[in-house]
Amino acid sequence: MMDELELLKKDWQNKEEHLPKLSYNDIYQMLWKKSSSIVKWILIISILEFTIPHLLYLLPGVSKSFETYEKLGVKDISTIIWIGGYLVALYFIYQFYRRYKEISTLDNSKKLMEKIIRTRRTVKHYVIYSLSMLFLTCLIIMVGIYLSDNLTDAFPAANDGERQISPEKFKSVLLWSIGVFSILMVAFMGGIYFLLYGLLLKKLNRNYKELKRLEV
Amino acid sequence: MNKELEHQFVTELENNQNIVHKVCTLYTNNRDAHKDLFQEITIQLWKAYPKFRGDSKFSTWMYRVALNTAITLYRKSKRTIQTQDYESVIFKIKADEYDATEEEQLKLMYKAVKQLGDIDKALVFLYLEDKNYREISETLGISEVNARVKMNRIKTKLRTILNP
Repeated sequence: MMDELELLKKDWQNKEEHLPKLSYNDIYQMLWKKSSSIVKWILIISILEFTIPHLLYLLPGVSKSFETYEKLGVKDISTIIWIGGYLVALYFIYQFYRRYKEISTLDNSKKLMEKIIRTRRTVKHYVIYSLSMLFLTCLIIMVGIYLSDNLTDAFPAANDGERQISPEKFKSVLLWSIGVFSILMVAFMGGIYFLLYGLLLKKLNRNYKELKRLEV
Repeated sequence: MNKELEHQFVTELENNQNIVHKVCTLYTNNRDAHKDLFQEITIQLWKAYPKFRGDSKFSTWMYRVALNTAITLYRKSKRTIQTQDYESVIFKIKADEYDATEEEQLKLMYKAVKQLGDIDKALVFLYLEDKNYREISETLGISEVNARVKMNRIKTKLRTILNP
């Protein structure tokens, strides 16, 4: 085998003349093409993850829901969560940016992979945090509904028309639907997130494991 | 970015482009993918170029960035569909250069190397490029001892591929 590899080495080094040759201009053109590296994808996905939940607040329906919160008596607590949420998001963005900046192809392969994994871990923590906050918000609303005496004030839509439903029934239907909705929402968003990163980082994880395995 | 830096970079890459082509040959299976990977490596080299201070040789630095791109950063683009029968130019052996058995043996060897995993390929590549174990270990981020152990395992693996 030794000899075969040596033979291959000799042949390999004689192969240069068969390689494609690019001209100065070919290479020059390439400098301005867009990268499609996984690091770039992580950046794009992360920016979306950081902005989408915050864009939701701009929707008229969502800002209107603050009135509902007020009537349910959970306004103060949801405002605190909301402001706190921004502070935490800013902290995550700062952390992400710092780690993203550290990624360099000049590092050795293992270090490069570690830095990418660490950057991605920041996003992972942010997503877990966001999803738990979403869940928590739904929980607080549910508690508010549960403790509220006149739900029809908070939800005027429930009172219109002829189809009058008893307040107890309305309350339980509302609690159930919010409960189910929040679980589905968290599972759905979490599912998309892990699928996305799973696919994106499949190769990296495989190769990183391979390098790590050598250390044992 | 200033013109002089661009010119300097493109000239150096033009002179050393063989390194990148060899990496592309090992890690891709068709011409489109080869071009695609070459382009991504060029972009990554260019991005890292301002940080390259000349404390190592330009080519040494290229090995690292090129392999890192192929192993870690590169994602196959959609248009590069893998074809199994593709044989890159580098594997074509001129009939008059070798006797038939040696030629056959080399062909099988190249095929076997192409079947290895990404990390194994990187080791073999650096080995074929006549890098010593210190350089191999520094490029990949493993210890020198582990690089040797790994290389021996690869040799065994290649032997099983060649003699199933």
